[in-house]
Amino acid sequence: MKRSTVEIWVGVFVLAGVAALVMLATRVGNLSTGGGTASYEVEARFDNIGGLTQKAPVTMAGVRVGRVTDIHIDRDDYSAVVVMAIDGQHDNLPKDTSAAILTAGLLGAQFVGLEAGGDDRFLKGGDEIKLTQSAIQLEQLIGQMIFGAASGENKEE
Amino acid sequence: MGMVQGVGAWTLGAIQRLGRACLFLMASLAGVPAALGRFRSVIAQLYSVGVQTLLIIVVAGLFVGMVLGLQFYYNLVDFGAESELGLLVALTLTRELGPVLAGLLFAGRAGSALTAEIGLMKATEQLAAMEMMAVDPMQRVIGPRFVAGIIAVPLLAAIFSAIGVIGAWLVGVGQLGLDDGVYWSSMNGGVDFFDDVLNGIIKSIVFGFVITWIAVFEGYDADPTSRGVAHATTRTVVSASLAVLGLDYILTAIMFGGL
Amino acid sequence: MNQAETAGTPDTRDSLVELRDVHFSYDTRPIYTGLSLRVPRGGVTVVMGPSGSGKSTMLNFIGRRLKPNSGDVFFDGIDIDKLSRAEMFALRKRMGMLFQSSALLTDLSVFENVAFPIREHTALPESLIRHLVLLKLEMVGLRGARDLMPAELSGGMQRRVALARAIALDPDLVIYDEPFTGLDPISMGVIVKLIRELNDALGTTSIVVTHDVEEGCSIADYVYLLGGGKVIGHGTPEEMHNSDSEDIRQFMNGLPDGPVAYHYPADPLDQDLFDGGSR
Repeated sequence: MKRSTVEIWVGVFVLAGVAALVMLATRVGNLSTGGGTASYEVEARFDNIGGLTQKAPVTMAGVRVGRVTDIHIDRDDYSAVVVMAIDGQHDNLPKDTSAAILTAGLLGAQFVGLEAGGDDRFLKGGDEIKLTQSAIQLEQLIGQMIFGAASGENKEE
Repeated sequence: MGMVQGVGAWTLGAIQRLGRACLFLMASLAGVPAALGRFRSVIAQLYSVGVQTLLIIVVAGLFVGMVLGLQFYYNLVDFGAESELGLLVALTLTRELGPVLAGLLFAGRAGSALTAEIGLMKATEQLAAMEMMAVDPMQRVIGPRFVAGIIAVPLLAAIFSAIGVIGAWLVGVGQLGLDDGVYWSSMNGGVDFFDDVLNGIIKSIVFGFVITWIAVFEGYDADPTSRGVAHATTRTVVSASLAVLGLDYILTAIMFGGL
Repeated sequence: MNQAETAGTPDTRDSLVELRDVHFSYDTRPIYTGLSLRVPRGGVTVVMGPSGSGKSTMLNFIGRRLKPNSGDVFFDGIDIDKLSRAEMFALRKRMGMLFQSSALLTDLSVFENVAFPIREHTALPESLIRHLVLLKLEMVGLRGARDLMPAELSGGMQRRVALARAIALDPDLVIYDEPFTGLDPISMGVIVKLIRELNDALGTTSIVVTHDVEEGCSIADYVYLLGGGKVIGHGTPEEMHNSDSEDIRQFMNGLPDGPVAYHYPADPLDQDLFDGGSR
């Protein structure tokens, strides 16, 4: 085989490999949406996070602005601390932004929804979101409904 | 008594081989800088280990992707969750099947060829002749093959995964009527580049390193007879495949299990 | 006919290679038990011995692909066992070796095979390399075959290419490992002629290891005969032919039985047959 043929084929091979990597990074993965600018981290405390997991999306008005990077228990007050990485382009979230744990659909995955407040100052890395609303727990809701209905029937008797 | 002795002899032999393999690894790593200096021979080796494995990788990747598309679709549709097809296929391929299957195919196609080639070079005294010509076979023969193997496997694994994603798209979107946008956006929203794609690439680099190491060592350590080379070739495929599967478990446990 | 003296520095005026009281064994099987020989400068020294006497192993000492268990190996007055790996590689550039299997690099053409040591060790311009390679190939009569691959050549031609490669760097010493084995009579005649001619034309020193008495003696200036792990006789070819030593006569004349026994060591036949051994 001639040297130039070998080189052309190796070139094709390497380019195909790099193209595949780029496709995996951008079309399959999220490098184009999350990796463009540096992100910053904020914390939020919840009484109960329900089924929230790491990597769950963080949205604002339904638009993805970041993702959950870490979840742990506060050693002192036993609340759940959720660490979120907010994409750097969203650097104008007001200080009094509130966070709620929401569910996509009735049985879907849980995610963090942010709602902007009215403060002039913006959240920056290491800040904490003070206003939070815990996950709605379906089991408790159903339980309350059943017991509520049952107690209601009792009252009627 | 005979069996106990047999086990003992086997164990000692295995430890000796492992020791030789480690010494060989150090010697061949020492040959890597010189190999990088001879970029031409690395390119020639990329041709024989990479380009020659490309066809089987593309074909296998396409079919594996199509099968995944079918299987996942029919299982997901029972739960009304067929919109997650793209995500499931992409995670399966980038995390597991891409690196592992590309590794297994590489061991069978290129690993065995490497062993046979080096074993025959030894059997026909070509390695000895190089030494007598004051040319270090570690730099001239082993080094470029090592570098080429480590470069080729991650590229092959990425091609396998990408072709697989396209194969599942052909079935899911082309044949079963899933929406094109849903397929790609579920993938895009759920696959993390660093956690999923990059970890898969790291896996495939490790596989490339280990498979190439086993293949060139078996060739270098082979009995310089046709029987010895045949044996070594078989051993390469068996031990490299087992190494890929075993390492895959360990790496998965470390990367995704938080071990 | 006395053994090489073991005292003092090696005689570098007369001998290029000297082995002194070399002992060596593979695992527990002894190959050499006190081997001493000298290879005079400028001549063709033929080392002969029966198959299995470890003739080729000796060549590996000279190139230091093996180290003897004890004893010294000198090349041009240098004790090669004391050299570092890098120094040994440098010294090997002064040696050329023709392997029994020719050992051509199968993925390179004839031209590239001969050019290989030149490219590896010099930074000569391409035009000069081409010049050198074609001259070497002309010496072995294969200039016209330069674009062929080794697999396209006969065994005899492969050996001639390997010979051209061995002399590519104009070495001081050319080592031939069983150069006559497995060749047809014509190819054999060509190789015999080439070894003698190249030695004289290039002024090198040659060591030929062979078990072919006739061809060996026809090109030898000096003959060493090995047996039982040491030198059992040495001299010019005429001296060897006229020797009255039993060992030398058996080998030189190809007698089936003699000091080298026809039978592999065993119990007496009747005992083996009728006493009902294990198998």
